[in-house]
Amino acid sequence: MKTDKISIIHPRPSSIVAALYTLRDLDVDVAILHGPAGCSFKHARLLEEDGVHVLTTALDENGFVFGGHDELVSLIKKAADMFNPDSMAVVGTCASMIIGEELHDAVEEAGLNIPVIEVEVHAGYRDNTKGVLMALESAADAGLISDTEYQRQSIILKKATEIEKKHGAASKSYLAPSRGDVKYSVAKRVMDLLKEDKKGIIIMNAKKETGYMFADVILAVNEIAEEMKVRSNIVNMANIDQTLGLPRVRTHARNIMSDFKEFGIEIHEIIGGMDEYAIAGEYVRKAIQEKYSDYDFAIIAGVPHAIPADVISGMEIISVTNGPRQVLPLKEMGHEHVVVEIDLHPRTLGVSSIVESEFGATLREIKKELHSQKNEEFAA
Amino acid sequence: MKDKKIIAIYGKGGIGKSSTASNIAAACADEGYKVMIIGCDPKSDSSINLLGGQRIPTILGLLRESVDIQEEDIVFEGYNGVKCVEVGGPEPGIGCAGRGIIVAIQKLKSLSKAHLEMDLIIYDVPGDIVCGGFVAPIKKGFVNEAYVLTSGEYMPLYAANNICRGLKKINTPLSGVICNSRDVSREREIVEKFAEELGSELIAFIPKEQIVQDCEREGFSVIEKEPESDIADVYRELARKIMSQKKASNPDPMDDEQLRSLTR
Ligand SMILES: Nc1ncnc2c1ncn2[C@@H]1O[C@H](COP(=O)(O)OP(=O)(O)O)[C@@H](O)[C@H]1O
Ligand code: SF4
Ligand SMILES: [Mg+2]
Repeated sequence: MKTDKISIIHPRPSSIVAALYTLRDLDVDVAILHGPAGCSFKHARLLEEDGVHVLTTALDENGFVFGGHDELVSLIKKAADMFNPDSMAVVGTCASMIIGEELHDAVEEAGLNIPVIEVEVHAGYRDNTKGVLMALESAADAGLISDTEYQRQSIILKKATEIEKKHGAASKSYLAPSRGDVKYSVAKRVMDLLKEDKKGIIIMNAKKETGYMFADVILAVNEIAEEMKVRSNIVNMANIDQTLGLPRVRTHARNIMSDFKEFGIEIHEIIGGMDEYAIAGEYVRKAIQEKYSDYDFAIIAGVPHAIPADVISGMEIISVTNGPRQVLPLKEMGHEHVVVEIDLHPRTLGVSSIVESEFGATLREIKKELHSQKNEEFAA
Repeated sequence: MKDKKIIAIYGKGGIGKSSTASNIAAACADEGYKVMIIGCDPKSDSSINLLGGQRIPTILGLLRESVDIQEEDIVFEGYNGVKCVEVGGPEPGIGCAGRGIIVAIQKLKSLSKAHLEMDLIIYDVPGDIVCGGFVAPIKKGFVNEAYVLTSGEYMPLYAANNICRGLKKINTPLSGVICNSRDVSREREIVEKFAEELGSELIAFIPKEQIVQDCEREGFSVIEKEPESDIADVYRELARKIMSQKKASNPDPMDDEQLRSLTR
């Protein structure tokens, strides 16, 4: 039996990077990439902003030919001296995995007395969630997470992979990047809907730390609804269950929730944890079926394609994504308006409170216009 | 878990690893052991003489076609129930055979329940340990004993010595040296001495016999085709030695000069 396989020709994030972010979520202090100096550079830099020391053995031509075992051993030791970490990870790359480098041997030889997670990953896996799974598996082996947590995450990742293939960046052989619809027009449309007394569901379904910016969409829409005195027409849903996921992920949920509280925003429905973006659709389904089936529009920020189309059918959909290649699939799912928060992720690393989004800023501009219009009307 | 022997047989290309391995496998199967042979040579000819001269699909051959692989697609039963697996590899001169071995062994381990039940697993590895991939059977296949096969000729000894360097580097003990004779002068004496220098021992001396060739031409091991022959007894004796071998030590490879004088 041939497995279904379309060849995807646009670049996508790699399993190595996926493993690195997972290690970050596991609160690993140091991650050593065993490979060429430039490997995963952009993300390595971003992760440093997020408090992980990312190092590289910088394998060169000689390293490819002769192996880099000794370099790896000495770097593990050096990193231990430099950063005094509580835990460390050693991560494979294509180069080291092709030549058969044994991470385990190097870790043994270095003989640190802290947990060291070994992830024999390379960038050649079709689903980059493989990198997450590999990191979690090694973490479970090293006793850093429980077996139950590993099982839970495996299920979520499976679902996430499915969604990417169905409606995400892995859904088509080629997806051109797009900047989506003009934010000003979409923001205007939101205002019009509110003006027409339409009822709306505002959903944040965000992947982990990206919630720091997607949460701002909830904030902004609530602000504008407040200004227009229609706040009772909207309900808020967010995947910020503070009891689910790895400690770091729970902290994000706690931070965002406390910001919401501070701004007087009620989250009517909690639709799962911040690592549950792939399965949050089912929580949303239940909530809508029970209480909100007569709502007119929905604004979905984060991973909008994880909300099944039938759950929100009949509503006008405005979605906010950070994936330029996500625009087309979302349009195909029937979302009338799609806006893209370009470069959102880097701005959500190393923060602990909600960060303003472009769409939120646009909504606020419109709110100002509205305000001055009102004043003019009042004056006239 | 019961004591399981997972062995690898190393030696210069063409020295007789595959034919010796299949005879050992057949002899052990006759003794009632559950045996698996895993051919790691891209030539994929390790198990051919256990399968009446037939070739089986290889793990990498199937992976290449992106088919959904099941255990029964890659594990085949040969002579007297010996399980046969061939890793396969890319075409000569293309791609990376070393990586191929790593990938195939990971695949096999994730798929095969059979290898859990074996008493003896033999990895038949290609001639030299040329790169990281060629130690994958040891590293990822949990090989716990390595054997070196050589004749008394200089080049095979040279290769065997190099292999011992590799084994030492990866910290794998050597359980014995096997001599597959090429009818050269003072052969037994030379290989015995060689084994001793390594800190190991000569555990079998297999004579060079036309019968081995004849059986091979028909696609069989000697054990299957000519069980009454003298050489079949030699293979059986070797098989018994391997199954009862307890000793093993990290080899102490010779330097080139020593090796040269050994054969002079
Ligand atoms: N003891 C022996 N007597 C005669 N021929 C032998 C003997 N051992 C091996 N051969 C022959 O030598 C050739 C190479 O053997 P093979 O097992 O394929 O080597 P390798 O696997 O080490 O490359 C084969 O044709 C084989 O039949
Ligand atoms: S090819 Fe692989 S090892 Fe090389 S830079 Fe890219 S991800 Fe890293
Ligand atoms: Mg062979």
